[in-house]
Amino acid sequence: MKQAYLGIDVGSISTKGVIIDDDNQILSSSYIWTEGDPIGAVKRLLRLLEQDFPKDTYTVMGTGATGSARKLVGTIVGATIVKNEITAHAVGTTTFYPNVRTILEIGGQDSKIILVENGVAVDYAMNTLCAAGTGAFLSSQAKRLGMEVEEIGDYALRSQHPTPIAARCTVFAESDLVHKIQMGHPREDIIAGVCRAVVANYLNNVGKGKKILSPVVFQGGVSKNAGVVAAFEDALGCKVLVDKNGHLMGALGAAILARRSKVRKAFDFAVEDLEFHTREATCGRCPNNCEIICVYQGSRLIDAWGNRCEQGAVTPE
Amino acid sequence: MKIAKRVAFPRYAEYNCALKYFVEQGLDATYILQPALTRRTEELGAKYSPDFVCTPFKTVLGSMIEALEAGADTIFMTHGLCRLGYFGELQEQILRDLGYTFDFVNLSEYSTGKKRDWLRAIKRVNPKPNLGKLTLRAWDTIKMAQYLDQVTDFYYQNCGFDATGGQYKQIYQQFISGMYTAASKQDIQVVYQRAMDKFQRVPLDKPARPLRVGIVGELYTVMDPFSNLELEQKLADMGVEIHRWMSITNRLVHYPGENNLNPEIRDLCTYEMGPTSTANIWCAKKYAQQGFDGLIHIKSANCTPEIDIMPVLQNISSDYKIPLLCLTYDSQTSDVGLMTRLEAFYDMIDAKKRVRR
Repeated sequence: MKQAYLGIDVGSISTKGVIIDDDNQILSSSYIWTEGDPIGAVKRLLRLLEQDFPKDTYTVMGTGATGSARKLVGTIVGATIVKNEITAHAVGTTTFYPNVRTILEIGGQDSKIILVENGVAVDYAMNTLCAAGTGAFLSSQAKRLGMEVEEIGDYALRSQHPTPIAARCTVFAESDLVHKIQMGHPREDIIAGVCRAVVANYLNNVGKGKKILSPVVFQGGVSKNAGVVAAFEDALGCKVLVDKNGHLMGALGAAILARRSKVRKAFDFAVEDLEFHTREATCGRCPNNCEIICVYQGSRLIDAWGNRCEQGAVTPE
Repeated sequence: MKIAKRVAFPRYAEYNCALKYFVEQGLDATYILQPALTRRTEELGAKYSPDFVCTPFKTVLGSMIEALEAGADTIFMTHGLCRLGYFGELQEQILRDLGYTFDFVNLSEYSTGKKRDWLRAIKRVNPKPNLGKLTLRAWDTIKMAQYLDQVTDFYYQNCGFDATGGQYKQIYQQFISGMYTAASKQDIQVVYQRAMDKFQRVPLDKPARPLRVGIVGELYTVMDPFSNLELEQKLADMGVEIHRWMSITNRLVHYPGENNLNPEIRDLCTYEMGPTSTANIWCAKKYAQQGFDGLIHIKSANCTPEIDIMPVLQNISSDYKIPLLCLTYDSQTSDVGLMTRLEAFYDMIDAKKRVRR
């Protein structure tokens, strides 16, 4: 039996999973929507991953979890490594693009920039306090125009004169967008304007003060949008590389980290049939009122977190 | 002679022990120690504060309310060199509008730099202070604050390497509670000496060249663990030596002054931009020159002086190739988001150090 490694990246909007072998070749991969239910999404993801996975020749011996639900998902699947998404993305990209200098990443609700030198991340930034210039902005504007978020990228490329959209803030951008529609701007120009707005926001917010050097790799769900890619190339004046697995890079990074770590533990796909649920409890032992999340498998408590001090510690049975 | 006043200050890191000592031993009044800062404090403060004011205003206001609830009748508020200087006036008005009855000693009204004016502020609590004793106790108070800063520095530089898994933290907590009960110069000395002796006996698992991170930032948020979501402890626990020059005694007692610091950072900036900006730039440059592995800049949202120094810090970061993490805190900031950024920062500086070797 050969060894394989599973990487799972559960984000705010989408859930990604890959299984790789020792040479980083993808054996199975999947990309689905989280739909506000990380536990359900992971179970669906595992079912899809299992279908293509050559079970007779490989066994999964390492599991990595990343993304905003990494802790919850890591507990459920019994991950051998749980890593933040910034590191996972950096590791994934530098493995496939050892010469990369700048990684642009735009996901559903967060965006980051990672600067790389000699294959090692040397600086990064992540958006704070604001979701302008992220995938959520694109989805809501697509919805307003009655289109699917997947189709707006190619539509934007048709535009000759992108409409300027005031994109300081998602709410204000939406008012401006409505105004421009009512003024009679053609739809493709507006869509191209929205794509440019995402880029302008990203560069003014996350990319502020960062030296963006080529080669530039762009990834995350929004990298699938050709309109945004074109707007980035325009703004940066250099080629922007988009990997065909760019949307899976976090999951790939998690799988690679699982491979690199020394911990080995066989993963069982039976997890997808187990019953998991969470409960929230308020500690109440001091005015901090920490919200403690308890994770149950069936009726058995398997993990808990959220307490700031020992008073609120919940120990699994 | 014991004075009937029940005095309180807003909570600020652990400096309240020194204030308590001064009020009780120097002014002969009762010191009211309200509960430590919690989410309730912040929610109370945020409820009655203007939304766009910086977070320390809210936390301090909440802490004043908790002091009044605990029975204080005299509230002190510090002066300051930024908007902080105006905070006291607004906070007093908000508390009066809420219906509290109290004496409010706003040090902004007395901060002329003249001893005579400080004495006027003190006479609001004790009209007939014993000047000789007051001066001696004031020196003890400064000494206590200095020991507090010294032990805190030592703690965060080493606690991440504690091989016993918790003794360091225990000694530090014993030290803090010892300082809160200290009633004489001897007590202060004994508590300090005991903590330092105990620290020396704890076995450390520290590499020859550990990861070192320098922390700079806005006066309140950078020093107060509740306000910065225990950033120093979180990072130290990952196995990092934490250095933070900015402390009350360094800024107020040992501050070299604008005229001395400015020539050292002339290549980076010309003018003073705020109460902590020159010190922070100077400090960040020093850390970079000493080969630190990373810099972290902490500020509360809307803190103008600290926003102004960010481009300078970015220049330091690119000149000396030192990673910089800028963090903005407001009353909505979550622990989880901070953890993601800190873990990534740790991974980054750790990987960088390995490659350099």
